Amino acid sequence: MIDAVQNTLDGLMIGSSYALLALGFTLTFGVMRRLNLAYGATIMAGVYLGTWLFLEQDAGVATAGIAAVGGAILAGLYVERVCFAPLSERAALASMVSSFAIWMQLEEAAMLALPRHTYPFPALVSGEPLALGPLALRLEHLLMLGSAVAIGAGLYFVLQRTRFGRALRAITDNALAARLLGMGVGAMRMRAFALAAAVGGIAGLLIATTDQQVTPMLGMWATIKGLVAMMLGGLGSLRGAVAGGLLLGVVETHAQWYFGPQVRDLVAFLLLFACLAVRPSGLFGARGGGRHPPAGAAHG
Amino acid sequence: MSAAALLEIADVVTAYGRIEALKGVSLNVAAGTITCLLGPNGAGKTTLMLTVAGILRPKRGAIRFDGASIAGWLPDRVVARGVALVPENRLVFAQMSVRDNLLAGAYLRKDREAIFTDLERMYQRFPRLRERAQQHAGTLSGGEQQMLAVARALMSRPRLLLMDEPSLGLAPLVVGDIFRIIAGLKAEGTTVFLVEQNARVALDVADRFYLMEQGRVSFQGTPGELAQDEVIRRAYLGSVRRPHSA
Repeated sequence: MIDAVQNTLDGLMIGSSYALLALGFTLTFGVMRRLNLAYGATIMAGVYLGTWLFLEQDAGVATAGIAAVGGAILAGLYVERVCFAPLSERAALASMVSSFAIWMQLEEAAMLALPRHTYPFPALVSGEPLALGPLALRLEHLLMLGSAVAIGAGLYFVLQRTRFGRALRAITDNALAARLLGMGVGAMRMRAFALAAAVGGIAGLLIATTDQQVTPMLGMWATIKGLVAMMLGGLGSLRGAVAGGLLLGVVETHAQWYFGPQVRDLVAFLLLFACLAVRPSGLFGARGGGRHPPAGAAHG
Repeated sequence: MSAAALLEIADVVTAYGRIEALKGVSLNVAAGTITCLLGPNGAGKTTLMLTVAGILRPKRGAIRFDGASIAGWLPDRVVARGVALVPENRLVFAQMSVRDNLLAGAYLRKDREAIFTDLERMYQRFPRLRERAQQHAGTLSGGEQQMLAVARALMSRPRLLLMDEPSLGLAPLVVGDIFRIIAGLKAEGTTVFLVEQNARVALDVADRFYLMEQGRVSFQGTPGELAQDEVIRRAYLGSVRRPHSA
């Protein structure tokens, strides 16, 4: 019983980082209706920048952390400029494939800068786990959960209460109507990318500091976790992204406890399969598929 | 022709790829009037609306609004200049609250206090929207969504309101409400240029009408000039009689 509670708590805390990854994915997917496969790679690029500064340039932990987030934002904007801005909304496949190419490019660049398979990443917090009766909570996990909650709340505020957030939601909801009100879809897309990359960069930073190591696989790992969590929750739904991330974290932790670490990802994909079979739109997705009228083509 | 034309469209050609949907359209919308654009499906009415609104770029021709040549402007400049389009099928933001839909309409405005005054005015004019202010717009009825789409467009304080098929899919009683609203807008000094399939209702409020067929204006006049049945027949069927049409 204690084990089950402990696993659930650990799962929620790990899941909070998945939720952040899924939130970033959802922000850009909602605005563009196109899949950005390089999302994880932009996060990895940021984390690698931070690691490189820390290891090779003797930067402090704080500088490395800020550089990780800043680097992810820059990499995200690079992806937007190269893969999404020049291609039409209707060329979804072309954008996806080019984002795959940039993923590979960023991964190669990271491996050129830091060629070993793994590098240490500094811990942001250190200390004994917090004891809560029979339960133990790792400080890194608490930091992860706390940051995720704070970022989630911040995002909610930005999206619900600000002019920028309203415009972002409007474009996600109906791009043509948004353009008719004078919203610049191109500029908004760049800002959405920067915001998503910042959220992803923080998630990557939290994950790297929890694992205390980085590998070039972080990119693929983040893309898969974010994608699975987003699809579990329902494409385009921010609430769904949070719920999907937490669910994925809890299920993975339980699976690992009962069946071993090899089974962990297997169970995650099984969960996704079951979800898509029973409820293809995800937990919070629009039922019967979304209705997305064309965004109007010619210019703008 | 009218000395006080607020919108002048001259020889506008808009193409989708190689297919010209507008083949040289010319018409005028006089300030303070309701002008109606009739015509069968595929005549290019929506294309004309989207071209004026800046969504589509005309290949040729001039569009003048209030003295400025707005052909080829992007939508944000067109809106800022005082033209708003209520699009076909209303296109309300279904996942956003009614209130957020209205505030989105004022996106380009910086006068924060006046925006909230206008929001209040919209609620007074459309009490149903106040009742449903916090509801998602997708939960509204068709008529309420049309009112929301109109109110959202009005939040940008347009001098010219373009409306594309405002009666589409609405019950006759609701259509009456919508056209009373349109008449009210004119009374307040807003110029209205609307596309409408429901010619009978549209001709009741219109000061002037244009008939479009196959990308061209084929006929124009005031509702009194021509027997209404003849206009309506041509609006629905086109002027060329087809063998199977009654």
